[in-house]
Amino acid sequence: MTTIGAMFGDVFKSLFKKPVTEKYPFERKPDPERLRGKLFWDAEKCTGCQLCVRDCPANALELIVIDRASKKFVMKYHAERCTFCNQCVFSCKFGCLNLSHEDWELASLQQEPMTISYGREEDIKFLLEKAAQPDNPETEKECK
Amino acid sequence: MLLGMAYEFFDRKLVARYQNRIGPRWFQPMADMIKLLAKEEIIPDGVNKGLFIFLPILGFAAALTSALYIPMLGFAPAFSFRGDLVVVVYMLSVMTICLGLAGANTVDRFSIIGATRTLTQLFSYEAPFLLALLAPALAAGSWQISEINTYAHNNLWMILTQPIGFLVALIALMGKLELPPFDAPEAETEIVSGALTEYSGRGLALFRLGKDVELVIGLTLIAAFYLGGLANPLDFILKTLGLLLVVALLQSLFARLRIDQTVGMWWRVGALLALVQLLIIVIARLL
Amino acid sequence: MQESKEKFIVPIGPQHPALKEPGHFEFTVDGETVTSATIRLGFVHRGIEKMAESRTYIQNLYLFERICGICSHVHATAFASGVEKLAGVTVSPRVKAIRTLFLELERIQSHLLWLGVAAHEGGFDTLFMYSWRDRETVMDIHETISGNRVHHSVNLIGGVKFDITPEQVKKSLKGLDFLEERAKYYEKVVTTDETFLGRTRNVGTMTKEQATVLSAVGPTARASGVQRDVRVESPYAGYPEYPVNIVLDEGGDLSARFIVRIKELYECFRICREILKNLPEGELSVKVPRRIPAGEVVSRVEAPRGELFYFIKSNGGETPERVKVRTPSLCNWSTISSVAVGHKLADMPMLLVGIDPCFSCNDRLVTVRQANTSQTMYWEDLRKYGVEYYK
Repeated sequence: MTTIGAMFGDVFKSLFKKPVTEKYPFERKPDPERLRGKLFWDAEKCTGCQLCVRDCPANALELIVIDRASKKFVMKYHAERCTFCNQCVFSCKFGCLNLSHEDWELASLQQEPMTISYGREEDIKFLLEKAAQPDNPETEKECK
Repeated sequence: MLLGMAYEFFDRKLVARYQNRIGPRWFQPMADMIKLLAKEEIIPDGVNKGLFIFLPILGFAAALTSALYIPMLGFAPAFSFRGDLVVVVYMLSVMTICLGLAGANTVDRFSIIGATRTLTQLFSYEAPFLLALLAPALAAGSWQISEINTYAHNNLWMILTQPIGFLVALIALMGKLELPPFDAPEAETEIVSGALTEYSGRGLALFRLGKDVELVIGLTLIAAFYLGGLANPLDFILKTLGLLLVVALLQSLFARLRIDQTVGMWWRVGALLALVQLLIIVIARLL
Repeated sequence: MQESKEKFIVPIGPQHPALKEPGHFEFTVDGETVTSATIRLGFVHRGIEKMAESRTYIQNLYLFERICGICSHVHATAFASGVEKLAGVTVSPRVKAIRTLFLELERIQSHLLWLGVAAHEGGFDTLFMYSWRDRETVMDIHETISGNRVHHSVNLIGGVKFDITPEQVKKSLKGLDFLEERAKYYEKVVTTDETFLGRTRNVGTMTKEQATVLSAVGPTARASGVQRDVRVESPYAGYPEYPVNIVLDEGGDLSARFIVRIKELYECFRICREILKNLPEGELSVKVPRRIPAGEVVSRVEAPRGELFYFIKSNGGETPERVKVRTPSLCNWSTISSVAVGHKLADMPMLLVGIDPCFSCNDRLVTVRQANTSQTMYWEDLRKYGVEYYK
């Protein structure tokens, strides 16, 4: 039995229903807990094994060793290369990494906000001073 | 012209609402026209330059001229003389023929296929449209639009006395304007825009404006004839918008028909129905 | 641009509003009837198989997931299960069940997407909008459980990443109920709407013999009555515990393909519900060494479009030696060039979309071998062949 206009009921009712389009910047749906957003690194727990750096499919992580014995590291995270795959979170045996579920609107117009350095305050400052004087190759060992 | 754009906006918004989404904002068609007019017009190789530039202008002019003879916004038409119904319908066909010629003009394959489809569809839908409009003319006893308008206003709404004619007129209008489901000549997924493929900038803007004006004219004609005349602006707006509701509903309900299906179905069914309607009127007058 | 007598060559070319992805088709047209068709692919070749040779297995897992956006989980599962077989590791039943759940959820999403796109090609935009609106429900389920709408990244080599909590189970069950109602509605629309049937009935009819000879796979073959379904023939992942009933249709034309895919949706709902209600116990992942022992393994899974075939060869190191992927859309193209003749031009886009082409999956190297000759091409041979071809 064929009819003409089989979708009539639905289509007509839609005149009276609210449209489903979400007016994005003004209305947002709540984020699910498992949403994979920006990566965060906890410097306290890291032991410098670099499994995360090795396993990243996009080479988005770099660990800069300042002092291996006292566990001073700085991690550089390239957000523009990251595919948010979650592999680093599972490779790390000490739970240093996690992908936030609130911070996911990462678009930007310039390059700088995309490269994020994580670490303790003094380590990052040390690195920036090192970068200002580029010819001291001993303490800075960049891996991968 | 402004009315044309306003109606295009209503049409798009209604179709969007039927599909359960928000449509464009009120100034969208105007923004489209301004953008198109500001763009460069690219004239492809191998085309008759004069014709290429001239055809959109001709089509648009024809559409606007016919607008002079119909009761827009409920006011009496600017000019009117006996037999202006035929002139109006003729002018509307000129618009479609321009479209077809424009497509046949270019060397591009898609346009040629689109042009053949437009012309084929033109033949099958003009005739029933004219016949369907003829029925009220016969009932009113004249060929002048303003007189038919007053006649319709004074008597019972003709949609009730001539329902078949109304249906035929509505569907024929959709076919003439190439609205879905009869948009085979301009099938986006098959032949990239059909006859209008090579047009850009000014030419495209004029063609689209012409189509919008045609939409308004067609709706006004049907409202004037079948829905009991248009006496004042409020009447005009209510009746034409009501018609637009129905047209938008029909637009969203169906899948696109192939060109052989549209022509095949309509030549038999449509023309027949219109003739039947005419016969009824003739017989009724004779009695 | 050639115009000889009354024959036209209409290109549905790399850039066209009908195709969502590039591919070049040339139809020789006489009026509105098609007299011959040729196909040319290769516009989206990204060199994935070569890239895989210089990355470790863990990195490759994500590379293969991104061959296609719609069938991403299937690729990842095929690769992961292949590598696990090479390493001699078996995963727990819970892992298998979760992988199967995602496979079926992805099938739902893919079929709904296809329904919308096919309706759009036929000019039926309303059905397109509605089916994609309902597809959002499946995407929401995906996002709640795995964290992303496509590219779920559920798999690890040796297991899955996370578990399913009871609230997620409840939410998914509610979503599945809503989708089942809508699927029933779409079945009604697709089989009874007169205008739609006018576009799909008796278009692209392929008999059972033709389908077998042309090696069609997936729903395209099942719509012609050919019994080909990897989930039934050689079950993998969780399918031995949650068996699938094969869905067949004898029509062979476009409307049969619509019906087959919608009926498969019902099967997916049933299996998803079974899995969600009885998730077996087991641990979530098993340790797999980084160096995989040498060997070759073949891994076949059923993607939403047909049979997906992976060949993985390892030489004992950290990176694979060769991975070969044969995607289902590649098999279905030959059905078009033989079936298209005699149809109207307006049917071409519908035919093309009826086999559910996924162009990104497609660009691999295909060699057609004559009867008994074997052809082993080395790097130099390949380059020579390429240079000759393009001269």
